Amino acid sequence: MKRKTVFWLALFAVLAALGAGTYLLRGVAGRRAVVSVDGEPMRTVDLTAAAVPYEFTVETDYGRNTVRVSQGRIAVVDADCPNRDCVKQGTISDGAIPIVCLPHHLVIQIED
Amino acid sequence: MALLTAVELTIWVLEGQIPPPIPVPGVKLGLASVVTLAAMAVLGRREAGCILLLRVILGCLFAGSFSAIIFSLAGGVLSWAVMASLIGLFPEKLLWVVSVFGAIGHNAGQLLAAVAVTKTPGLFWYGPALLTSAIVTGAFTGLGAMYLVRALRKYRERRGF
Ligand SMILES: [Zn+2]
Repeated sequence: MKRKTVFWLALFAVLAALGAGTYLLRGVAGRRAVVSVDGEPMRTVDLTAAAVPYEFTVETDYGRNTVRVSQGRIAVVDADCPNRDCVKQGTISDGAIPIVCLPHHLVIQIED
Repeated sequence: MALLTAVELTIWVLEGQIPPPIPVPGVKLGLASVVTLAAMAVLGRREAGCILLLRVILGCLFAGSFSAIIFSLAGGVLSWAVMASLIGLFPEKLLWVVSVFGAIGHNAGQLLAAVAVTKTPGLFWYGPALLTSAIVTGAFTGLGAMYLVRALRKYRERRGF
């Protein structure tokens, strides 16, 4: 019984460490952000050329998302989706985690 | 069972108010799954499935969007299926292991749903991060479920049913 507990603890610890390692490796800052809807790139943003922050709106049949770009960072600041998870997600500045708005099929990923 | 559904729903609604530990859609503490797993251990697989479905449907009346239902179902059903097929294979002391596998199933289901909805296979890159978060949250919710199982057993004994 004890040995089984140790076995599972060790296995999960290794898996969790591997997952965290991959996450950290991908978490490097990128130069551009790609906004896509249904997997189709709608707009590519140069994050190194945003000394003055600006906003733009992505409007599709699914709905509307207002995106704010500042130096090295990008965020959805307003959206008419029901849960507004994309807005709650806040600002991203690296490729570790994308911004996703599921109701609008929208993804914002930072790439190098 | 109605009591458990109510508890799970309340937790789920409350949980929606807490910001997720990692800002990925779907990465929540998964406290509601404590109830699903405990119900499975004490009442049975089918009862736990009913509680889960009720929670998803009622929960979406509050959240109010179709894509939220699909997303919630994808995680919930896969997690339920994984736990239902494993729960017989592990002794009760290792219930937390079942919980971890359930959490991995939950995140995998949500990731699949997210990739399908957004048609962005690149999201699979976030699989490893979701794996780590599933292991951590699954272990904690598993411990929670083990406590709840003990409490439910005592409650049943006292009530004599
Ligand atoms: Zn949104």
